[in-house]
Formats: sequence, structure tokens, C-alpha cells
Amino acid sequence: MPRIKIDHDKCTGCRHCEIACSLNHVTGIANPRRARIRVFREGSVFFPVIAGPFVDAACTSKLDIKVGDRLYDMCLLCRASCPQKSFFIEAETGFPLKCDFCGIPPNPSCVRWCNSGALELLDD
Amino acid sequence: MYGWTGRCLRVNLSENKHWVEEIDPKLLDKFLGGRGLGVKVYSDEVDPQTDPLGPENKLIFVSGPMVGTGAVTGASCNVVTKSALSGTIACAKMRGHFGAELKFAGFDMIIIEGRAESPVILSILDDKVRVRPALEYWGRTTSETEEVFKKNLDDEWAARETYLVSIGPAGEKLVPLANIVNDGFLSVGGAGIGAVMGSKNLKAIAVKGSHSLLVADSDRFVRVVTTLINKLNSAPFTSRSMTVWGPAFLVDVCFQKGILPYRNFQVAAFSGSKDIQIETLSNVFALRSSGCFACPIGCIKKTDMKNPLFKGIGVAPTYLPIGALGLNCGIRDLTAIGMANIICAEMGLDSVAAGGTVATGMELVERGIADRDTLKLELRFGHEEDLLQALTLMATKKGHAERIGKGGQALAQEYGQPKRFMGVKGIPMAPFDPRCIQGMGLHFAVSNCGPHHLYAYTFIEEVLNVHEQFDPWDTEGKPELVKRCQDMAAVIDCLGLCNWPLMGLKFNNFVPMINSCLSTDYRVDDLLRIGERIWNQERLFNIRAGFDHTHDTLPERFLREPIQDGPAQGQISKVDEMLPRYYDLRGWSDRGEPLPETLKALELTTPFSLNPKSKIQNPKS
Repeated sequence: MPRIKIDHDKCTGCRHCEIACSLNHVTGIANPRRARIRVFREGSVFFPVIAGPFVDAACTSKLDIKVGDRLYDMCLLCRASCPQKSFFIEAETGFPLKCDFCGIPPNPSCVRWCNSGALELLDD
Repeated sequence: MYGWTGRCLRVNLSENKHWVEEIDPKLLDKFLGGRGLGVKVYSDEVDPQTDPLGPENKLIFVSGPMVGTGAVTGASCNVVTKSALSGTIACAKMRGHFGAELKFAGFDMIIIEGRAESPVILSILDDKVRVRPALEYWGRTTSETEEVFKKNLDDEWAARETYLVSIGPAGEKLVPLANIVNDGFLSVGGAGIGAVMGSKNLKAIAVKGSHSLLVADSDRFVRVVTTLINKLNSAPFTSRSMTVWGPAFLVDVCFQKGILPYRNFQVAAFSGSKDIQIETLSNVFALRSSGCFACPIGCIKKTDMKNPLFKGIGVAPTYLPIGALGLNCGIRDLTAIGMANIICAEMGLDSVAAGGTVATGMELVERGIADRDTLKLELRFGHEEDLLQALTLMATKKGHAERIGKGGQALAQEYGQPKRFMGVKGIPMAPFDPRCIQGMGLHFAVSNCGPHHLYAYTFIEEVLNVHEQFDPWDTEGKPELVKRCQDMAAVIDCLGLCNWPLMGLKFNNFVPMINSCLSTDYRVDDLLRIGERIWNQERLFNIRAGFDHTHDTLPERFLREPIQDGPAQGQISKVDEMLPRYYDLRGWSDRGEPLPETLKALELTTPFSLNPKSKIQNPKS
């Protein structure tokens, strides 16, 4: 089962993956808000988040996640699109978006355009 | 319309009004967008003799057509206005994410007119354009402004997608050396723009948007961009040097060739060069790469918590701050240079201009022309506490630092020593010694927007020898090279791309990307012609603003005093030798004015008489 491995240490926050995703899913349209991957910034660290399942309620158990020696809000890293964090919902139609490993095999389009090595396709 | 949005937001701060205008497609065809469009609109609307800090001056932010479309390094937003430091036209380049966000907000261009009565912030958030009062932000540093504005939005997720460009205290106090800051870094070549923004009482512009940009031939575009990314990844400079060290790797290269200036360009060689080598840089700062929008290179190095002084904020110094704030002031301690760089970014002072000014002051003191009592400030080469204090006082106009805050040229003139100022047209020079890199010397002399290397990146041919082999000391073929590089840089600025990919790609590699994105059929020659048109348009503006061929020269030191030591010993700038050939290539008269036939061939018109009635050499500041 292939999956996309994310290395936060390598991400430069250039958001090229967002545009790659958007161009690949909607022909001729470049718009990060229609991408199924988003990059969030926290201090000097960037967190690419790939769209996961849609949930219709916000979760009740919020945790903090430790990365390196800093604590981060779990909401930031959560892949779900929930009422509290309205990313990954197409603005015009209201449909939830989910990553579908698109693009020319073997690489999804975001992995192909990621030059920093933050996104990598693993097959295991 | 592909690539462009075709819309322009005009904000009149005096009347507190704003409206949206359509951009004439004919203008886009002739000037491409970005810097070209900005320069054209600006020179059509503003009288070149206007006071840069007056309400009649305008400030234009303009993003190029490739910005935000996913084109490789398509990120920059150009800022066009009349510089408060030099009085020439200024075309600064903002990196980061602001330019792309402006396009997603649905605008190619923002034109700011008039002057607000009290401090304001212009916010363009999801199609809602508002001019908000900004009293609580006045006096704050740039990073604080960003933080407080985002906190006031009351929506953590919206704040994450909002990008700001702001001025620091230096811009508010109308210090001519002030620059604008976005995403934590100063704009490139923006000396004097911060004061213009401050004179309009505009503290910041915030942008967030969710519109789509259209790409003409999506399949081909994606293929071309993928190829370019792979090419960049296999070229040595863009895959290793820039990615690992950022532009700071040039420090080593320049030191070995003797290009690195020391003590206000007085010396070229110095001992202890290992203090500023890139290995030391990574010992002092934990480097973490960060990139502008859609950049596969990622040359910005954020500092991390390795040094307790920086607390994880700011950007590690690149070549320009290390050269201008550090070595040129005789300082080799990277921690101090990093500190000075952060003060500049927080206060909104241009690092090259401020460094050059402090170095001028230091030389005046060293030679006994000025002293501590007349300057009311201690300025000694190699003393980092003097530099840090001068920068802080200069930015806040506290104490008696007003004299030095006016810029190096004004300072040197005040003491009757204009030759001690190392700059052209009032703007301090980027830290490259023009005596041992002749092409760049010629470019510094003739540049419309001040002596900044990025307006003609001859460095990659003359020193790095990426595509062609040129001898940096020789003048052979240099006027041609300078003209080509200037036109190329103008086109790249118009499109909103970055100059760094030229270290790995040829200019014609970009052409398929441009055509597939914009649905055009440009060839390399067509694009260079547009570049030439822009260069002439800027030149026309400067001539009408009172600049002529007598300003196309370098400081006396580079023309008379050969380099005394180092690998380039005995070299001297031969700019006067190259100048006639350069004017000839440009189709200019020997007085540096574009000939009527040149203008006709470039389809440029001159609405005003070429001969200015009065000459403004030093704008009021």
C-alpha cells in the first residue's frame, strides 16, 4: 500500500505542492484553496498536511503533540476536515476534498514537484 | 485572461476611497506586468519632479503574470515608486508569499495615492477591502505588527493564510534609508520605499484571498515545470550551494576573487577570513531552509534556537548583510552581523543602504574629518556596538542620529567629502568591488534603480562562469553582456520570477513555461525587447527627474585608486572606457539620452519634454 511520507524537517514552506495538486485536479486552475494538501507554518517549522477523511463534528479530545522539543496543537497536524477547521472543503460546491494519490505514476503530483525532499512516496 | 487577473485596486488614502479598475490588455502585451507595468503606469501618472514624500507621489505594488501559477520561483511582487533616498525611480522586489497572495485575492496591482490623516492599515481579506485605523500598530516593529494584526483577526485559521507587508519605525519616521518588510525579510533594492509608505501614513497591507488563477495549457505547463525542477536539481549551484547555504556561499567565492570589500571598500584582503566562512555560519546559526512561494531552491535560511540571542526569530544573514553591514564596517563577527541584520528587518531599515551609510561615517571618523562630538555618535571600524547603536538610533531618530539617518551621500556632502561615499545616484553600493568585476561596475554606474547587482546579474557569467566564460578583469564584451543581463533581469522581474534559477537554467529554458502558462508565443528576442523597453522607460523617468550622463559613474575611489592587496591587486575600474559602447548599444546619445529613433523602434512615447526645467539632485528628506 503506497503512502506519502512527510518530513517536517525538510519542508521549506514553498507551497509548490498545493499548486501541483490544484493544477492536477482542476485543469488549468491554480488555487491553493482547492488543493488536497496544505502547508501550515508554526514558528520556523512548516507542516504539510494531506487531506484525510471528512468528519461532520469537531472532536472533543484535543491533544498536544511533541515534535522535537516543542509542543504543537494537534489541530494543526490533523488531516481531517471538520467544522472547526474548514480546510479541505471546496468553496464553491461545499464538497469535502480527499487525497487520491493522483498524477502520473509512480508519483503523486505533489511529490513530483516537491524538491526539498519533504514529501516522499513509500511503498510498503 | 491567463496568468494575469487583469484587475487593479486603486486606493486613495486622502479621500478614503478605493475602487477596482480593469488593466488595459494592450499595456500587458507591451509591458508584460510586474515591474514593467508598474513603471509604465507610474511614469504616466506621476510627475518625475514630484517630492517622493509628498501626497502626489504614488506607491505601486504589482505582481507579475507568472506569480502564483506554480511557475518555478514565481513569487515576487514589485514595488514601484520614486525613491526617497535617491530621487530615481525605484523598483524593489518583494519575495516570500505576499505577491502570490495578492494574485489569489484577485489583483495584479495595488496603486496607493494620497496621504491618510492618521495611521492606517489597508486590508484586502476575501474581497473585503478596508482601510482600518492603525494607531495601535504605530511604533511597532515589523514582526510585532504582523503578530498583533493576526491576533486581532480572531480567527486562527484565517490568520494563517494572511500575509502582510509593513514598515517599521524607520519608515514611520520617514528615514530615507527605510525599506519595507514582508514575511520577515526586507525587499530587494527597496531603499527609500519605506519612507514613501510612511509618508502616506500606511503602516501595512494585509492580503488574503481565494480566487483561482488560470493556466492556458495545463498539461504542457505541468510537464515543463517538472522538467525545470529536475534541471535545477541537477545543476551544482542551485542544487547544493544555494540550497544548503543560501546566497551566503558567495562570501567565500568573492573573498577568493578579491571582490569582497572591507572597511568601506578601502581594503580587499584581510586576515581572519575563516570568521565569515560558510562553515562558521552553520556553527553560529542553526540553518533551516525556507522558500518563497513555489520555489524549488529554498535559499532563505531561518535561524533557529542554537544561538540564544535570536530566540528562533529572523533570517540568517545572506551575502548582502554580511558584506554591507559586516565586512564593509570592518566587522567579522557573525553573531553581531546577524544581530544587525535582525535590527534592520525589525526596524525596516535597508541593510545595504544602512551598512553603506555607517561605513561612510566610519571612514570620515577614521580620517579625522568627523568625530564623535560632531556626529554625536561613536563610529569606529570593527566595533560592533557602534554599528548596532547607530542602526537603532538611525531607525528611531532618537538622540542625534538624524544626521547619519539621511544617508551616506548627504553625510559625506555635509563634511565636504562626497568622494568618501561609496554609492551611485545616492544609493550605497551592493558589496561587490567593481574594480575587479568590470561588467558589474558598468552596471552599477548606469543602473536606473541604484547600484544593486540583481538588476543585472552579470555575476553568474563573470565570476561563477555558469553559461559563458568571461574574464572579470577584462572589458571585452562587457557592454554587450551588461545590456543583455539588464534586459533579462527586467523581463524576469516583469514575470515575477527570481534571478537565482539563472544559476542553473538558461533564460530560454523559461520560454516554454511562459508560453504554456500565458497562451502567448514569445521568443527569447521578443522578451528581451520588452526588457529593453522597460529599461528605456525607466531611463526616461530618471532623465525627467533630473539625472543625466554625469550621474552614470562610479565613486572616485574605483576610478583612481587601484586595489592595494589581495588576488585582484592593481585592478581599477574601466567604466569610462566601456560607457560609450554601452550608450551606443542602447541607442542612446553620448549624453545618455535615448535617441528618438530608439524610442520609436521600442514604441515608447515621451509625454514630457526630455530636458527638465530644474534639476533635483538631492531630494528633500
